[in-house]
Amino acid sequence: MKKTILLIEDEENQRILYSEELEKEGYTVFTASDGLKGLKIIEEKQIDLVVLDIRMPEMDGLETLSKILGERKNLPVIIYTAYPHYKTNFMSWGADIYLVKSSNINELKEKVKELLGE
Amino acid sequence: MNNKEKIITLVLAGGKGERLYPLTRDRAKPAVPFGGIYRIIDFTLSNAINSGLRRIYILVQYKSFSLQRHIREGWNIFSRELGEFVDLVPAQMRIGEEWYLGTADSVFQNIYLLNQEKPDIVLILSGDHIYKMDYRSLIQFHKEKNADLTISVFEVPVNQASRFGVLKIDKDLRVVDFKEKPEVPEPSPLNPEVSLISMGIYVFNTEILVKRLFEDAKKKDSVHDFGKNIIPSMVGRDKVFAFPFIDENKKETKYWRDIGTIDAYYEANMDLVNVEPILNLYDKDWPIRTYQEQMPPAKTVFSGYDRKGEVLDSIICGGCIVSGAKIFHSVVSPWVHFHSYSEISDSIIFENVEISRYCKIRKAIIDKDVYIPTGIQIGYDEKEDRKRFTVSENGVVVIPKGMKW
Repeated sequence: MKKTILLIEDEENQRILYSEELEKEGYTVFTASDGLKGLKIIEEKQIDLVVLDIRMPEMDGLETLSKILGERKNLPVIIYTAYPHYKTNFMSWGADIYLVKSSNINELKEKVKELLGE
Repeated sequence: MNNKEKIITLVLAGGKGERLYPLTRDRAKPAVPFGGIYRIIDFTLSNAINSGLRRIYILVQYKSFSLQRHIREGWNIFSRELGEFVDLVPAQMRIGEEWYLGTADSVFQNIYLLNQEKPDIVLILSGDHIYKMDYRSLIQFHKEKNADLTISVFEVPVNQASRFGVLKIDKDLRVVDFKEKPEVPEPSPLNPEVSLISMGIYVFNTEILVKRLFEDAKKKDSVHDFGKNIIPSMVGRDKVFAFPFIDENKKETKYWRDIGTIDAYYEANMDLVNVEPILNLYDKDWPIRTYQEQMPPAKTVFSGYDRKGEVLDSIICGGCIVSGAKIFHSVVSPWVHFHSYSEISDSIIFENVEISRYCKIRKAIIDKDVYIPTGIQIGYDEKEDRKRFTVSENGVVVIPKGMKW
């Protein structure tokens, strides 16, 4: 069975780019444009890993992360943000990996692989 | 303590105190009255302010109305302008939809508080215990040892240690093993007759605390408890030290009580009416404060031969009237009215109780707002008492709050 990834990212171009790149690696990718929508997908689908942006409308990534921790403790989460400074927010420590976005998408792919144990 | 260093104190006050039932029927354990005018939590809070710690969060959840009122009325003494506060934090379910699961979960659910304050050190206390302690020496020790976690420890005889978390330490006081409620408790290397038990007092470096809380939150088999999960997961990996309790009570034997049962509660109160109580409430250098309303002084009337108001070997608080009744070896809270020809001995009576004429009461705890009609006897016929009331193992009869005849 293909592993499924949920990508929560408000910026459309990035959402398309990252999901296509992850699909190329053989994953099934669901996407959501904010935290609220993302949580709904977690409820409905069988998700193996979440890639989570922080700055988003409606519900930001850190609040989304705290909800994920409450609902699905063991669901691996990668924070994927352009900003390193959220690391000082203790809530961000709840993610398995905090990754700062760069042009090198391979970094993300490697971390995904690592967490999904492949 | 150096002022630049940020310390946050978290008082865990969510304990149900099930073994103190029915005293905990309507209130959380930290809100249970003690020694006439105090609530159990007053000791921890007094220790904190006597130690110069004035940034305090009290984490509450279970039946917290009485506790919240007490804190609001009695502990609203801090200056927010100076960065001081004592704030009540009810379970808000920010993370997840459940009430606090264990002690560690109650802190985990409130990580956002640490985020706001960004303290260097977090002092975690329990609102359930009675003792006097200067937390400054503990924090000093924590820093000298460059520890990640320091646990304050108390010595109890090995055969009584099984109901606590027991530590094994090396000669540098580093903790090498920690077992919650072990069947065979480890004796202390300093004295084989005693074991070192955790007093539920922890100093954490904030970073390591947050890391370990997240780690634990993700574990499926964890009950999210400091004693059962967090501490065992840190021993052997992080720098965990034991701090031998230094008592501010200044008596020969060190005083620390986990008032877990009705009998332990009863004994701890009765200690106070001894000529030389072990717990010293009279030390002006380590005052225990509480909330007290304005009250008229206690009063006794009738000095006749038959009808005599008498109070012996007892604590009696403001607002009380002893009118022709005899009170012996008892602890009486404010606003209690005793009527003529009644005899009360070896008892603890909470606020706002009225005892009518010709009552005989012995070895009882009478909770708040109870009216006892004429001629009632309590504590003289165990079989009868057991039909109507909770009676402890040692035969202490408990009359619940608001009981009506």
